[in-house]
Amino acid sequence: MEPKNQYIPYKMRIANIIEEAPLVQTYRLEFVDEKDAAQFSFKAGQFAEYGVFGEGESTFCIASSPTREGYLECTFRSSGRVTKALANCELNDIIGLRGPFGNTFPIEEWYGKNIVFITGGIGLPPLRCLIWNLLDQREKFGDITIYYGARTVNDLVYKEELEEWKNRSDVNLFLTVDPGGETPDWKGLVGFVPTILEQNPPKSENSVAIIAGPPILIKMGMPILGKNGFENNNIYTTLENRMKCGVGKCGHCTVGKTYVCKDGPVFTYDEVLNMPPEY
Amino acid sequence: MEIKNIKSTNIPAFFDQMIKSGKVVIAPVLKKSGKVFFEAVQSYDQVSTDYIQTGFSAKSVVFPKVEELFSFKKDDEGIEITNNLHTIPETVVWGLRPCDASAFNYLTEFFLKENPDTYFTARKEKTTLIAISCAKADNACFCTSVELNPGSTSGSDILLTAMGESVYIELITEKGKAAVETAASLFTPGEEKSKEEFLAKVTSVFSMDEVKVRIKTAYDSAEWKHASMGCFGCGACAFACPTCTCFDIQDEGTQDSGKRLRCWDACGFGLFTKHTSGHNPRTNQTERRRQRLMHKFKYSVENLGIVSCVGCGRCIRNCPAHLNIFENILSVTK
Repeated sequence: MEPKNQYIPYKMRIANIIEEAPLVQTYRLEFVDEKDAAQFSFKAGQFAEYGVFGEGESTFCIASSPTREGYLECTFRSSGRVTKALANCELNDIIGLRGPFGNTFPIEEWYGKNIVFITGGIGLPPLRCLIWNLLDQREKFGDITIYYGARTVNDLVYKEELEEWKNRSDVNLFLTVDPGGETPDWKGLVGFVPTILEQNPPKSENSVAIIAGPPILIKMGMPILGKNGFENNNIYTTLENRMKCGVGKCGHCTVGKTYVCKDGPVFTYDEVLNMPPEY
Repeated sequence: MEIKNIKSTNIPAFFDQMIKSGKVVIAPVLKKSGKVFFEAVQSYDQVSTDYIQTGFSAKSVVFPKVEELFSFKKDDEGIEITNNLHTIPETVVWGLRPCDASAFNYLTEFFLKENPDTYFTARKEKTTLIAISCAKADNACFCTSVELNPGSTSGSDILLTAMGESVYIELITEKGKAAVETAASLFTPGEEKSKEEFLAKVTSVFSMDEVKVRIKTAYDSAEWKHASMGCFGCGACAFACPTCTCFDIQDEGTQDSGKRLRCWDACGFGLFTKHTSGHNPRTNQTERRRQRLMHKFKYSVENLGIVSCVGCGRCIRNCPAHLNIFENILSVTK
């Protein structure tokens, strides 16, 4: 069989639209062609190129869990040419999708361990895939702890799911907003995510931590975990450099010799420390 | 290696025979600007024979400056996607220099080793490279520093070396042998001999072995600042370079019909790495110049085992800020 042409997108139908936060939406996508649906599979950590024909493509993780079959979800903020065009799409419109690309979280290696998630803003979508993937096989893991914050209460995404996680006895959720971002009826924490993490450090014994979000959160969060006894190879992140091709050719996402798209996006803190700080 | 000879006076007949056989022949042509560029020709009369180096390299034959990935059209049935890969013609590149031919080795390794690129594969399969050894060089040429020389056969299907009244022909690949068969009667069998006296003298400016070792720790060199001084990120070096492969993907047309294109890009451009949020991992020209040079001399060695600079000198000739890649490499590996 000839290798697949990696630039020809799958056609996806927008099956549902959820308004998450100002300018942030989640699209549920279903394959137009059943044959594509049958052969497509992905694992937590992978990403895709989402395209509006005539406007271009944009890179986001797959935000839904591979355990939820029959559809994919992506969550994005409308800010550039492509994401604005994407935001203007309507239910049942057809968009393009290329992928899945990149490596994956080594979930099987984490069986029996405590899992800590640290994320902010729209850094939650890449981890939401992983969180549900673990929650859908909850018995295989120890404690699950989530630190999540946004600039304001309104900017928190997946508000219903946050409520669900808050109410689950098998999930510890530290929900925070940046100082000044709280509303009068806000019952969560107030403070930047790294501060909340320092004040409420997770136990490092038999634990792995996964941190995702803006580069500043990754750069500040990883050393805090290190100080709290996490070994560097038990701290994971997912990097999100600018990308065009997704397959290690266009050159945009390189950090030193590393292509975030094909060598990542999932890296351990050890691997990140061995890269130039170009992310 | 199979060797043949041809009389210099028979070169036009060989050349025109390839065109008659239906191949697209890309050759150096002297433009009104006084510079020589590759373009498709109809006869040997149009071909320039007096040039040290062409303005652009021949890489656009396998990696066009702008390439259609596919076109799309929306109708009531949905969206139709088509590409025109099947229309790529058999192509001969004539008169590229051994450095450029060697660049094709790197391009092939880069595009095909992992996640093979459909478009590059289709074009490369249809391309035959007929290189011509260099009898002249200028002070931007530094092929001998990157372990090539004015008569390297690396990457070529055929290498021609003018030796007085006759041309010495090295048939390096099966494709090369097939190309001379279109005009077999013009050639006579030959024997391997030294090309040395017919080649340009290019002095080596650094030892590649030493550079490979010293560049490993060059990331933090204070010399990068000096090596990038004056660079305003025009990207001329990358566009002229025979081994630069970075590209952008852009759509043209409307949401109802149009095409998706990939276009050359350059790591020297400020927008190249800029995130939507405004955060930029490489914030200034010093970091961008370092990326470009470290990629050529360190990262591509680590990833593919190949130094991805062939010493063609185009980036030196074309830089409006007069930056010199081999002087920069020398200074950061001091």
